[in-house]
Parts: sequence; structure tokens; C-alpha cells
Amino acid sequence: MSTTVSRDPSGAPGLFTRRATGLVRQGRTRDALFYNVMWSSVALTFAFFWILYPFAYQGSNAILAFLIAAALGLPGAFLYAMLAQVMPRTGGDYVFNSRALHPVAGFAANVSYCFWLAVVYGVYTTYIAAYGIGAFSRVMAGYTGSSGWLSFGDWFATEWGLFITGSAAVALSALMFILGGTRLFFRVQVGAFVLYILGAFLLPIIVGIFTGSGDFTSSFDDYAANLGTTDAMSTLQASASDAGYASAGFSFEATLKSVSVFWFIFGFIFSSNYFAGEIRLRRRTHLYSMPGAVLVAVLFLLALTPAYLNFADYDLNGMLGFADPAAYGFAAGAPAYPELAAIASGNALFGGLIVLGFTVGLLIWLPQTMLLISRSMFAWSFDRIMPERLSYVDPRTRSPVVAIGVVTLLAIASTAIYAFTDWFSTLSVLLGLSLTLLVTAAAGAALPYRQKAMVAASPYARTVAGLPLLTVVGGLAVLGFGAAIAILLWDPGSGASLSDNPGKLGLAALVYAAAIVVYFVSRAVRRRQGIDFELAYKELPPE
Amino acid sequence: MRFLRVRRGNEAGGSDAVRLYYASDIHGTETLWRKFLAAARVYEAGVLVMGGDVTGKVVVPVVEDGGAYVAELFGQPERAGTDEELDALEHRIRANGMYPHRMNAAEVERVAALSEDAREAWFAEVMLVTFERWLALAAERLADSPVRCFVMPGNDDPHAVDGAIERAARVEGCDGRVVEFGGYTMVSLGYSNRTPFASPRELDEDELYRRICAIADAAGDMDRCIFNLHVPPLDSTLDTCAALDEHLEVIMAGSEPKLIGAGSSAVREAIERYQPLASLHGHIHESAGATRIGRTLCINPGSDYHTGRIAGCLLQLRPGGVRHQFVTG
Repeated sequence: MSTTVSRDPSGAPGLFTRRATGLVRQGRTRDALFYNVMWSSVALTFAFFWILYPFAYQGSNAILAFLIAAALGLPGAFLYAMLAQVMPRTGGDYVFNSRALHPVAGFAANVSYCFWLAVVYGVYTTYIAAYGIGAFSRVMAGYTGSSGWLSFGDWFATEWGLFITGSAAVALSALMFILGGTRLFFRVQVGAFVLYILGAFLLPIIVGIFTGSGDFTSSFDDYAANLGTTDAMSTLQASASDAGYASAGFSFEATLKSVSVFWFIFGFIFSSNYFAGEIRLRRRTHLYSMPGAVLVAVLFLLALTPAYLNFADYDLNGMLGFADPAAYGFAAGAPAYPELAAIASGNALFGGLIVLGFTVGLLIWLPQTMLLISRSMFAWSFDRIMPERLSYVDPRTRSPVVAIGVVTLLAIASTAIYAFTDWFSTLSVLLGLSLTLLVTAAAGAALPYRQKAMVAASPYARTVAGLPLLTVVGGLAVLGFGAAIAILLWDPGSGASLSDNPGKLGLAALVYAAAIVVYFVSRAVRRRQGIDFELAYKELPPE
Repeated sequence: MRFLRVRRGNEAGGSDAVRLYYASDIHGTETLWRKFLAAARVYEAGVLVMGGDVTGKVVVPVVEDGGAYVAELFGQPERAGTDEELDALEHRIRANGMYPHRMNAAEVERVAALSEDAREAWFAEVMLVTFERWLALAAERLADSPVRCFVMPGNDDPHAVDGAIERAARVEGCDGRVVEFGGYTMVSLGYSNRTPFASPRELDEDELYRRICAIADAAGDMDRCIFNLHVPPLDSTLDTCAALDEHLEVIMAGSEPKLIGAGSSAVREAIERYQPLASLHGHIHESAGATRIGRTLCINPGSDYHTGRIAGCLLQLRPGGVRHQFVTG
């Protein structure tokens, strides 16, 4: 490293830097962008939409729905990017909210976020079983006619199949950290990403471009014939009609409600803020990687949606929800978009890769989220709110093994809930997660008033129409997140609506209340030990 | 003050408890230096220890331009037309760990054309002006206080700071020697092992170990000894950072940074050998935490110097034990 001179192309005089560590220890924009796109589960959400479409969103326009969701999430993406620059410390919203509002607000909001992330594990693990491994087995049966593959695949859609497969996937994720540490995880993740992009996006898009509905019907019938049912498409249509399916025209109301589904992506596409303290990122890196991820996800969906509709239009997706799957040869359940794309490909290799890519995208989310939650637990423990043991990091593997153990138990419990009960729907976790976003947006808006010196020294010290820039962006984020929460509370398909599931809002509030109680109990216990952990948040006067 | 209650007058006078405040890696951020000095009063600490990397890395030329001044901050040109605006601009530069330096365009060109070594020397001169002002501020703030304030340079600090510390009225040097307070000893060394950055104070592991041992051998009872070694022990979880490629860019593995231990094997070996009561470290900003190596409590409070908040740790030293609490002020 040498002393360097930097010149600004705009004509400003530049900087002189000297020999010192860390000057260029910067993350690249594309890597943070990649993290955000991968963790936000674009493929899974796309599957959600078409699975839920017949039941809750008939008449919705998918493209309009995800564009609205993206618009609601965009101010939040900008806000998180700015907050990560102003407070670059591991812990994401816990750090932002505890410093901008109050420690108890930061802790409660973050506990709530982690709680709902733990709950959402069950969605991923059961989808891995049913729409991943189960679907892969059925694809193999569909292309080979093997009854062994078929019965093997059908087992994964059973309650015990969901639970055992999901729990095994969670346990494997935990074992990967415990035995191989983060290094093994990172290596696995690289391969997973390649397979994910290829299988879940590129191949379906290519298949969609070259496969019309007529070709698809032919492939579908051939495939189902190998599963033991002839003339499957006609049977499917008849079964759907018998069940009362009728084609629906465009409905703006349905479109607006279906924003709930795409909020799964656009409410949570800025998670690189959680490792902002581990890797110093340039100002533009944050701005490009968080709002930029919104753009990339939109582009993926803009390519994938018409390609998919080319062979599986709205009517077919509607009928899949109404028809009896057993009638057209899919006894374990209706196929989701990866299997439909696999069928459309007309090729066992491409079909297998499509389903594998989708599955791997779900599988890699499990360890990614273990790391994310464990980062939060580390922050609580570091500040002494929670026991030190929770932040224990194994020196050999660099893994937070205790926190990972806790997350593993919660994830297995969540898998059991999703496998054996209908307490939670696919989307009902979104309400709890989004409440934390709302708290963070409020914290961002308040930050210039709560931490004047911090903001004044940051790149975001400017004002817009007399208001601090962060307050303006935070205010817009409040509106975006607030609108998304309003849709979740209005849309019965969200599983958290006030009309059909009023208990979910109560549960979300209960999680907050429990976390607040934990905070004050912990504070009292620590004080008896002679420790005042609120010192951790106390501002020292510089003068 | 509820935290780690200490009887009044117990500060450094050989009583049964000493409260020590440790921070490191403020990298030229003036706000943090002021907060470091304020920590003695706010946290009721009798001993302050600054564990290295005190000086900054960047000089920002503030250049005369037609009756105004212009500077680059966060990649954006900033213009100050009045004295108040100029003060505010310089304050923002200082608050972000950089040194504002008023120059004209010709001086900027002259410095830019200097050889690398000559520019390092120029940088040290600029930096020293600010550092000596900081030391004067410490003398003012701690004038009537019994607080002991130790400042050690770290691997990033030019050698010019050593003399300034030795000359300071209310700040004590401790690098490369044993100091005593309240019945405890402290072994300090600001050098690090080799880094990819070729910073001013780096040593090979063998030499680092030799120097630590030479100081520790003179420290006496390890039950009442603190190590103050800038670089953390290797693979201790206090030294985890992103791996860098040959262009000093972070290596990503999949979607996350590839993490490695960048600490010192010499420091680890020394801690394992001597087993002091506690061992204080900085250097790796992103690896804050506490761990034990044998019976030794090892601490790295990390550094958030960009944020204007100082990451530190309070230690309560008592006969037979030590307690810690991380604080971000």
C-alpha cells in the first residue's frame, strides 16, 4: 500500500492518503447486490404467487402487482442504504433503532424480526420437501415412467415427509457451520448461486421463450402419461370446471391485494445492512446494492413472468388451483412453477436442473438466515442484554455455534408447525417482519433530530425543502412500509388480515411485548450483577 | 453511576479496585478523541488507555478558489464561501477521521508530485499539528484530575507521534514498556504482525514475540498484569476480518465476505505463555468481542470511528478477577 493521491473528476482537489491499513478494504457493489438478490427469494415468491393465485388473487396482474410492491419497498431500500452508511455496524435494524430511538425499541423490534424469521423457516423447509425434492422425484418419474421415483416423490408431500425432510435440511445447515464453519458455507454458497440462477431463472426464461401453450399441452400430456394418466390437460380442465373454476378478467382490487405476495421480496431486499459492520462498503455500494437489488429483482420478474405466461397462462394457473390433482395424475399435489417449467422443457436434464435450481435457492436460504439471526443475537449478547454464551464463536470454525443451535431448534419447531398445523399461512409472517421495517423507517426519520452530530458528520447531512434528507427518505419509507402493512391487514390471502386472521396482529404485538419484558428483566438482573448495559448506548459528550 | 460501583478514591492508588476504560483505533477522528477524554468523567474511570491507531489516514486539501474554499468530501465537491461555512466544512472533515489542510492549488500540485516517501513525511507533519493540539486538549481536560491517561501508537501511526506523546503534559506513553497503576502492571506494544498494507509499525511474528516477552518478563505477577497489545491473538474470534485479494479488495465467497483470522500468532503464544489477567486489543475494527485464552480475558472493543461514536470497554480490575462491559459512547 502506498501513499496515494486521489483526484475527483469533477474538479475538486481530491485527497491525500497514506500508508495505513484498511483504506481499500471495500466490498464490491456486485457482491452486496448479489447477496440481497439471493436472500430475497425471488424464485420462491414467484412460486407463491401462482400457487396462491387461484385461491386469493384471481384477476390479478402479476406484473402490475410486483411493480407496486417494488415501488413501496424502494424508499425503504434507500433508507437502509443510508442508515448502513451512517451506522456501519453489524446488527442492522437493532443498531439503527437502539441508537436512533431507544435501546428497548431496538431490541424489541429486532427480537420480533428474528422471531418471525424463525417462523418463516417452516415455509422454506416444507417447500423444499414438497416443491423441491418431491417435485424433482416426480420430474424424474415424469420423464422415465419410473413408479419408484413417483412413490418416492409422493412421500415428500406427506406431513411426516415435510417434517422429516425440512428438519433434515435445517440440521444439515447447522452441521455445515458446526463442522465446516463459515468457510464451508461460503464455498457451498457459490455453487448454489450458480445452480439457482441457472435453474430458477435462466432455463425457465429460455424455455418460456420457445414454448407456447400448445407445445406445453403436448409435453404435459406426455409427462402425465408417464405418471399413469392419459389426456391429462383435458382432465385437468374438466376437473377445474367441475370444481367451479371460471376465468376471471383483470381486477385492480385483486392486483392490489396480491402485492402482499411480492412484499416477500421487496420488503426484505436490503439485508446486506446486517453485515455492514463486517465489511466497509462505499457509499455508492450501499446505494447501488440495496435500491439496485430492487431494480434487479424487477428485471428478473419482468423477464420471467411473460416467459412463464407464454406456456402457463393465468387460466391454467387458475385451473391448477381448482382441479383435483389426483384426477390428472399429480396425486401428491398440483405442480408449482418449477415443475411446470420442467415439463415445458420437454427434457429430463433441463427439467431436473430447473427444479434443482429452485430447491437449492431455498436450501441456501437456511444457512444464510442462520447467520443473519445469529448476527442479531451476537449484538444482543455483546451489549449484555442476553447471556454472553449466546455470542460464543467457535474459534476453529468462526461460527456462532450457540446462536446457530438456538436457531436450529426454532427452525425445527417452525417446520413442525407448518407440516402438521395450519396455524400460519405462507405469507402470515410478513406482518410481523414488516412492523420492524416500520420502526426502522420511523427511526430513520427521527435520526437527524436524535443524533444530530452523527448525521451532521455523515454524507447525508443535506436538507430537502428545509427537512433533513434522512427525515424525508424515512418519511417516504414510513409511507411505503405503512402501505404494505395496510395491504397485509386488508388482504385475506396474506393470512394476517384483520377480517380473517385478527389474531396475527395480536401475536405480533405480543412478541413485541414479550421482548420489552425481557429487556427490562435483563436490565434488572444485570444491575444486580453490577452492570448497567444501558451505558452501551449512552452518548459521551465530546465537549 | 451504577455500573461496576467503585469506592471513591480507589482510582490508581493501590486500593482493591481499578476501573479502566480502553478504546482503540480512532484514526484521527477528533470527536472520538474528545469523547475518549470525557470517558474518565462519565464512566468514572481512573485509568484511560488508548490502544493505538490514533492518527488519521487521509488529508483533505481545502483549496483556495476565488475567495472561497473547495474540498472533496465523500467523493463530492464541497464549497465554503464564508468563514462559518469553512469552519463547518473543516469540522465535518475532522469528525470523519480526516485532516483538513488549507492549501492553494500550486501546493496541491507540489505535494501530488512528491515522491512517496516525501509525501509520507509531509503527511506526518500535517498530522502532527493536529495530534499535538489533541495532546494539549488532554492537558486542559485532565489538568486537575488524578486520572492516568496512557496513549500508545498502533501499526498505522507514524513514528513522529512517539516524541509528541513523550513530551505531553498529561498523557503518558506506554509503548514497549511496563507501566504501573493501582497495584497493576500493563505490558504494551503497538506493533502488529505483517499486513497487506505495509503500515509503519509491522514486525515478523518471531520479532513480535521476542519483544512482547522482553517486556512481559519485567512485569512481575501476571495475576495483576494487563497486556495492551494492539494486534489481537490469531484465530481468537477477535481477529476475524474479510480476506483481501492482491488488489486489496474484499474477497467474496458467494454473497458474503470470506472471513479469515488476521491476528498474530506471536500475541497468542505470549498470552498462552504468560496468562495475564486480561489482554486488550484493537486493530481489527469489525471483530469486536470478548473471549478467553486459558484464564486470560481477551477484549477487542472494535472501532466504529466513521460513525462519530467511540467503541470502548470498561474493565473493573479487582483482586482475583476482572469484569468487562462494552460501551459505545
